[in-house]
Amino acid sequence: MSTLERNPRSLTHPPRTGLLLTLPALAFVTVFVLVPLVFAVYMSFTNWPLIGSYQFIGIGNYTAIASDPVFWKSVGYTLLYTVVVTVPILVLGYVLAVVVRANRRFATVFRTIFFVPYVIGLTTLSFLMVLEAQPGSGMVNVLLKALGITDGTTAWLADGPLATGLICVMIVWAVSGLTMVLLMGGMQGVPRDVYESAEMDGASWWQRERSITIPMLRRTIAMSLVISVIGSLLAFTQFYVLTRGGPGTDTQTVVMYVYQRGFVQLQLGAASALSIVLVVVIGLVTAAQFRLLREKD
Amino acid sequence: MASLTTPTRRHGSPEVRARHPRGADAAGRAESRTKTTLYWLGGTLAALVFLVPLAWSVLRSFQSNDAIVATSPNAGDLFSLTTANFRALFSSDLDILRSVGNSLVVAVCTAVLTAVVATLAGYGFGRFRFRGRNVLFGVVVVTMMVPFQAIITPLYLQMNAMGLTDSRLGLVLFYTTVNLPFGVFVMRNAFENIPAEIEDSARVDGAGTMRALVSVLRPLLIPGMATSALYAFLASWTEFLGALTFLTDDRLYTLPLALVNLQSGAYGAVNYGYLVAGAVVAMIPCIILYVALQRFYVAGLASGAVKG
Amino acid sequence: MELHRRTLLALGGLAGLSALLPSCASQLPEADVTAAGFGQDATGTVRLWCRAATVVGVRQVVDAFNASQKAVRVEVTPVLDGQYVTKLATAIRGGNVPDIVDIDDINSMLFIYRDSFTDLTPLVQQLGFADQLNPGQLALATRTGKHYGVPYIADNSMLFYNTELFEKAGLDPEDHTQDFDGLLEAARAIGALGDGTYGWSVDGNAAGILGFVVQPHIWAAKAPNIVGEVGDQRGAIADNDAVRRTFQLYRTMWDEKLMPQGNFSGDGSRWGADFRAGTVGLFPANFSVAALNATPEMRAKTGVVLLPGPDGGRATFAGGDNLCIPRGAANASGAWQFARFALDLPQQENLPAGGYIPVRSDAATAAYREKFPLAVAPLDGIAGAYAPTTLAYNLLFNQQDSPWIAAFRRAVFDGDLDGALRQGQKDFDRILEQAQL
Repeated sequence: MSTLERNPRSLTHPPRTGLLLTLPALAFVTVFVLVPLVFAVYMSFTNWPLIGSYQFIGIGNYTAIASDPVFWKSVGYTLLYTVVVTVPILVLGYVLAVVVRANRRFATVFRTIFFVPYVIGLTTLSFLMVLEAQPGSGMVNVLLKALGITDGTTAWLADGPLATGLICVMIVWAVSGLTMVLLMGGMQGVPRDVYESAEMDGASWWQRERSITIPMLRRTIAMSLVISVIGSLLAFTQFYVLTRGGPGTDTQTVVMYVYQRGFVQLQLGAASALSIVLVVVIGLVTAAQFRLLREKD
Repeated sequence: MASLTTPTRRHGSPEVRARHPRGADAAGRAESRTKTTLYWLGGTLAALVFLVPLAWSVLRSFQSNDAIVATSPNAGDLFSLTTANFRALFSSDLDILRSVGNSLVVAVCTAVLTAVVATLAGYGFGRFRFRGRNVLFGVVVVTMMVPFQAIITPLYLQMNAMGLTDSRLGLVLFYTTVNLPFGVFVMRNAFENIPAEIEDSARVDGAGTMRALVSVLRPLLIPGMATSALYAFLASWTEFLGALTFLTDDRLYTLPLALVNLQSGAYGAVNYGYLVAGAVVAMIPCIILYVALQRFYVAGLASGAVKG
Repeated sequence: MELHRRTLLALGGLAGLSALLPSCASQLPEADVTAAGFGQDATGTVRLWCRAATVVGVRQVVDAFNASQKAVRVEVTPVLDGQYVTKLATAIRGGNVPDIVDIDDINSMLFIYRDSFTDLTPLVQQLGFADQLNPGQLALATRTGKHYGVPYIADNSMLFYNTELFEKAGLDPEDHTQDFDGLLEAARAIGALGDGTYGWSVDGNAAGILGFVVQPHIWAAKAPNIVGEVGDQRGAIADNDAVRRTFQLYRTMWDEKLMPQGNFSGDGSRWGADFRAGTVGLFPANFSVAALNATPEMRAKTGVVLLPGPDGGRATFAGGDNLCIPRGAANASGAWQFARFALDLPQQENLPAGGYIPVRSDAATAAYREKFPLAVAPLDGIAGAYAPTTLAYNLLFNQQDSPWIAAFRRAVFDGDLDGALRQGQKDFDRILEQAQL
């Protein structure tokens, strides 16, 4: 960056112009993120309903969170979901990256194909899954029946663990492409000669991956982990579309519960307190992951 | 052809180093046949795993609802195709066109606005020195870590107070904010990677700040802008939670909300034929734009990873 | 990426900003319903929101209204039942309300307690047939003697039975629909007929349906599952014998395969298809599902009673829709003109054609009884119509993550009756506590 550092009194790049250029972005961030964030803190000390007037209730919302079994259940569920999908996403993403990083014919075509589900997006994919998960008629069941694994009448979405399993498979399939792209970017940054000398030493493919690629990709791996972990912790759409959090609250994620409290139970104050807790937790997770990443450097 | 072509070439950048001539493989140690076979086998197999479900969904959208919900369906029914779902979907009864239009307007405006604002900010952060620059950039990056999902409640009240709920403009501004940090990040990298001489030579010619930006730097910035625009488009085209929260007027519904209505049978009995056809309609623009812009897009995402 | 103390200071400054945010929840203005000419000779467009579940019945009346005159045009927007409360609340918050809402009567109270609906008392009292209105439904729109809405269509749960299967199994519909012993006996006998017949059927993964058809068994025993006044309510689940026995009945029928396997995942999208196909003996549902969509031949061999309690008694869900005019409605006058039209006898008498029951008891004329014999029971048994007055109905029963469906599934499909009742009690108490004003 040093060559880019400008003299503060630069004539061609006056500081004021620089500030001016960044103002629109800062305005967006201030109005739609920072102000609501501070506002959320304020609201979390009230019993603000969606309609009607509000009162301050001190830390009532926070003490209620501590003893709210549904919230903690959703926290546990979200963590479980995150743990279950994170490793497969990383592994599959890594394998796909190995395939497409090669300097071979068709690698670009493969790369394009592997990334398509991510591009289509979870919302659309979830809607498609709705009909394929139907007992009897859905393809998931038809295939499993054809393979002789089930009798084809499984009601995937009416059962907590089954629905979770199905959603996890779908998510791993859908978002591994992103991890692939990120890792591939990192892999192509590994100097060629490092590999060549390792090959001279007769290192096997896996030895080379383990001793060269993975250590050199640590930052990239950490970053793709941060992205996928945060994405999982904030999961909403696929659960809303496929299970609405049911049966019961068996597949309710934290964000769903926040939405539920705010916009179904109409208690914005209580929802804001949950929001604050969520922001703090996400912040801690991110900070921890970035810190790990920094120490390794 | 397999490598990432980041048009913003920089010396010693990972991408450039990765671009070794194809001959290297052939000249290197005899590449074993098994390795090649493995590559083709694995690649093709994986490609099928990713493509077949999507192709199947497209086929599904041409099946009748009866065939879709039939238990133990037979091949004959599944392959007797009809355009009835699409015709019903676009008829005045269901009028999916309106929500497609809403989604399109919102996503395109978001993409353009994000690219413009991110480019300006990227220029400011990447090329200028001013007091508080690092702090302000830090603020932008930190907002990346504040998930909008978590602050949706106060955000709703604030947008409501500003008259931005039940409004396409409100959605555009909201989506722009969500996608901005990534865009600023990409554009700052893009500016930092442009050799100072290029910009300086333009300025010697007497071009002002804006003119320098527009005429000289544009070709070098297109990849970054395309990346942030496409990223914003894809993220807002079928965004769910925000649309669900900020829209109550069904005339403004975006595509995902219309699909929920189809899924739940808001207009009578549930018809999965309509649902799958609607989902296929939602897939089309994503795939077209992605295939058209993927060279920039994938490179942009990947370079973000390298920069960390 | 560096984070400085100044960032935090900047954040602190923003705290001040946020205090400036408009925090007052200004109430929307109420229309003057006593103004001269209110509800007559209105003009313009009336935006009507209706529940997606009742869109067919509503459309029918709206079409008739639009055809009857030219000055006022009603536009219908169906809103998904699961999203209705959210959508209406956010619309009220946003000040962009429809002119009139066709709202699930059990959700009316939620908005009435938050002063969101127009007081219609003088208008309701002026109706010549005010005392004929369904009392259970009107009560759900009434607070401290004031009416904030008017019943419009009734949607009652009943127990339909297939007379042909009853005959084949040698059962007497009268005797075997009095109490749980009779029901179980009948279900077993019909299940024993074989040939793909089932004694009973219910969509076991549809929250709204389970609230609608399972609860009346409990109310018939005069053992409500929510007790106390609004503001101080709690659940009555764990120690409620009627709840226990109702779940037990379902458990037994599921266990003995008297219910189709598909009931486990039935989400309402194909509700009643099995009964209409003639393969189910007893079927708790509403008129629309069981009779309207059936063939005339099937209707001819269908009988109906209200839902019995464990040891007798009869009840029905006082379900249906009320018409309410939100405060801030732009065309309140046109809205009331439509409401009056919707309540007129010709429209009311014809409601079963769209699947619903009239809200006026004087609609049960001889011609009506002749035309819709399966839609008479709720009008004759109007005293058995009940629905709890609570602000939390939506949360307790209608949402897919509600405790009622959770308890039902745990008791019936998992066979954990005690656990279901214990957990249900906890969840009911928690939600009722959270939902107090």
